[in-house]
Amino acid sequence: MTASTAGTPPERSLARTGGKLRAWFSKPANVILLLFCIALIVLTLYPLFSMLSEMFLVHSPERSMVRKMGLKVGDFTTVHFDKLLFTLDDGIGGDFTTSNSWINFYQPLLNTLLVSVSASAIAILFGGVVAFLITRTNISCKKFISGVFVFPYIMPSWTLATFWQTFFKNTQIGLGTSNGIMASVFGVYMPEWFVYGPFPIALVLGLHYAPFAYILIGGILRNMDANLEEAATILKTGRSRIIRKITLPIVKPAMLSTLLLVFASSMSAYSVPVFLGNPVRYYTLSTKMKSMMDTYPGQAYIMVAVMIIFGVGILLINQKVTNSRKQFTTVTGKSGQVSLIDLNAGKRIIAAVLVIILLMVAVVPLVTFALESVIIKAGDYSLSNMTLDFWLGKGLTYLDQGDDTGILLSAKVWKALGYSLLLAVSCALIAGTCGVLIGYGVARRRGSRLANWVNNLSFFPYLMPSLAFGAIYLSMSSKLSVPLGLGVLILAGSIKYMPFATRSGVSAMLQLSGEIEEAAVITGVSWWKRMLRVIFPIQKSSFLSGYLLPMVSCMRELSLFVLLVPTSNTILTTMLMQYSEKGWAQFGNAINLLIIVVVLLINFVVNKLTGASIDKGVGG
Amino acid sequence: MKKLISLILAVCMLLSCVAALADVKETVTGAEALTHDELVALAQAETGNFVVYGNTSRIETAVTAFGELYNITVESSNLKDAEIYTKLEAEVNAGSGADMVMIQDGAQLTYAMEDGWLVNYVPASVKEFIGEDDLLPLVHQYINKLFIYNNLGEAVPAVKNVWELTDPAMKGNIIFKNPESEQVNMNFLIMLTGEEWSAKLAEAYKVWADKDIELGEYKNAGYKWIAEFLSNCTFGSSDTTIAEEVSQETAAGKIGLFVLSKLRSSSVLTDNLTVAQYDASANGYTVEPFAGFMYPMYALVSAAANRPYTAMLFIEYLMTAEGFGPWGKSIGAYSSNVQIPAKEGDLGIETWKATLVMEDPEYILDNGDEVRTFVSKYIQ
Repeated sequence: MTASTAGTPPERSLARTGGKLRAWFSKPANVILLLFCIALIVLTLYPLFSMLSEMFLVHSPERSMVRKMGLKVGDFTTVHFDKLLFTLDDGIGGDFTTSNSWINFYQPLLNTLLVSVSASAIAILFGGVVAFLITRTNISCKKFISGVFVFPYIMPSWTLATFWQTFFKNTQIGLGTSNGIMASVFGVYMPEWFVYGPFPIALVLGLHYAPFAYILIGGILRNMDANLEEAATILKTGRSRIIRKITLPIVKPAMLSTLLLVFASSMSAYSVPVFLGNPVRYYTLSTKMKSMMDTYPGQAYIMVAVMIIFGVGILLINQKVTNSRKQFTTVTGKSGQVSLIDLNAGKRIIAAVLVIILLMVAVVPLVTFALESVIIKAGDYSLSNMTLDFWLGKGLTYLDQGDDTGILLSAKVWKALGYSLLLAVSCALIAGTCGVLIGYGVARRRGSRLANWVNNLSFFPYLMPSLAFGAIYLSMSSKLSVPLGLGVLILAGSIKYMPFATRSGVSAMLQLSGEIEEAAVITGVSWWKRMLRVIFPIQKSSFLSGYLLPMVSCMRELSLFVLLVPTSNTILTTMLMQYSEKGWAQFGNAINLLIIVVVLLINFVVNKLTGASIDKGVGG
Repeated sequence: MKKLISLILAVCMLLSCVAALADVKETVTGAEALTHDELVALAQAETGNFVVYGNTSRIETAVTAFGELYNITVESSNLKDAEIYTKLEAEVNAGSGADMVMIQDGAQLTYAMEDGWLVNYVPASVKEFIGEDDLLPLVHQYINKLFIYNNLGEAVPAVKNVWELTDPAMKGNIIFKNPESEQVNMNFLIMLTGEEWSAKLAEAYKVWADKDIELGEYKNAGYKWIAEFLSNCTFGSSDTTIAEEVSQETAAGKIGLFVLSKLRSSSVLTDNLTVAQYDASANGYTVEPFAGFMYPMYALVSAAANRPYTAMLFIEYLMTAEGFGPWGKSIGAYSSNVQIPAKEGDLGIETWKATLVMEDPEYILDNGDEVRTFVSKYIQ
């Protein structure tokens, strides 16, 4: 090489940089991460900062509050912070426990932390134990338990809450006007703490989100390399020591992911605390936030920020753990068959207990909804009070329940169902595919700044309460003059539920040893083929759960879409909300049941076509 | 350069929004003298779906019948007040959205009109039949929430004086929708702190307790009643649910403050319920000093309307007996059109105006913040 071809030092430096860039861009993982980084900044950071800026602005409903201060709508102010966080003596009398800040912020915050931590513990414990029993023991009825366990997640969260209330309410507590099934049939009057307040809220949320733990922990347990446990068994290590020293460390990332998902979900859960908390005046940050959003939006956005701060805290902890050296590749090219723990006689007893619990949690509510959708007057279960009119009737003016046509004959219900399906499938395809790609990028560039950025950015939407997220997208659509419609709904749904797919994708990819792809690279297989023919088939169950979870979530999502739908009849859940809020319980229960049946059918069809289902991450 | 382009774009967007808002307002102003036939012709010449928001469920029946009558494709959404205002703000900024709204909460409406989100339209054909106070903004109907009690058992809470509801013995027996979840309920409480109603409450207290009221830490009798009333309440999730629950055979001794029209629901055991004011009117006494409250439901054109003429035609239709039909067929809804009487068996609107607490948006805007802060202490 001559001096002239080598060029001057700056030219050489430029050539080196160009070479480095070419090399950097030649790796698909880098390109994927860069593209997603840009897209996620626009679609998640902008909404986040837009939302946070609302804490410092005067809004239309706050004009009464700031009138005397000479402020007008859109002005900068810190008055929302003063009123929400620092008004511990508002001069109206009473001690600090009756002050504005305590009532509207500190007490709801403490309540929220209590139920969120409890719900996370219940979900991880229940979901994790069942996942272990299904994947690592010879427990009976695996197929039934595995299939039914995801029912509570498929059902909208408020359905379990309403069932709890309907089942246990009695004349000695709450509204004190009517008896539920427990009191009227068995004569048992449950105490107030059992029916309303933090205990049932945490329990219902825990049961609702237990499938997270079941799917995430179970997915890893099912896919993990059996060699590790077998080696320990050969070395005569005891079962409990194997669980403590091998199994638990391996599932720890999944447990943390579950904790993150359940805690963030519980913090922003709205329907369950409304049903089970409001009757006894037990408020959480989300219920307070929702009621303040109407009158004091600035203070409501501060609450949103607090929820996000907590979520980010857990996210950082999660990140620290996933970046630490205590991270295990569990799927290699040489996995073996896991030997199951023999529960002996216990396999039937434990199965029976689980089946009873699952029947109570997953099946009895469905029966209750079916029953409640055919009675005319509440509480009267005699045959003379039953009708199928709410399902199949026409010209039902005598009911005066908002509609005069049974839901199966109603054109608007079918139209809404079509929209809901289209929305759910679109969100699932977009979020699921993004999840796989982000998972690939993050796993292959693990530890790099860009990978961390994308990984965290993709999780941000989950930390934003759905209602606030919907409000921001509504505001964005108006600023950009984009009319509300299916496009906006799909965009919001895909972004909001991308964390499910990303968690699932990252988790699956981190388990996948790099040597598998390397083998394909050596033989000259293109990136697309490696993804489609090698990587995807190996971790199919985890990836498909990344598609199915956003779909199921979208099918039963309400808060996110309530402000974005062009009309309340656009999708099934907003239609259901309309019926529920108006107190038209029969139509509401019928639509609720319809949503659940449709999701179960989809699960069934997907299972038949691809061999995968939501619970397939666990197997059994 | 980038800043300049951004600025130009922002100004263009702002101007286009302002132009759109001005268009709708001008269209409405220019249409005030139109005849019904002219309005029909202009409405039918408009294109696109006609979209309506309302916080009354029966708007769907009304707009469907309207669509069939004039061969117009319609869409309706039954939303809460706050959701309607949130959507309106976004839609008006975008310059496109719903065409017409039916909405309650007069205080918030004052702001929405000040900001130009909504445009008032009074159909020429019915103007003479509407009271002066109901023209701006146009009141479509009044809705009342009344004390209604379960009439079974020994301890029937047949309320004759609202201070009875503050008795500690009533704790847990009164069911009301949380005032933080429905603004008209909060407006009712705010109104009680005003000069007129606090004075009436003080008088009623004297009748009930046979002594002058001792206010203690409270600013007036209104605040005292609110504090003691809310302390005795349990909160139901919706007015329909409250109606159903209070009507149960197991709900003896319970009383609710909820929308009278909910008695129309097939799931409410109406035989078990007594409306306090009906009983008072039938037996010649009065519930001191009020038997509940009443608020208007307004009908207005959205400034973001794509079909302003259709919106005006629909408002005209709503003000007729036919358009009021979905509400007028049952008790508890009262048209502002004096030609449309209350449902047979119900009391007339004048009786209700004399016995119920009515909204004053101006007072609510001036005092709402203070009373809301006060109320929040008693719903914990």
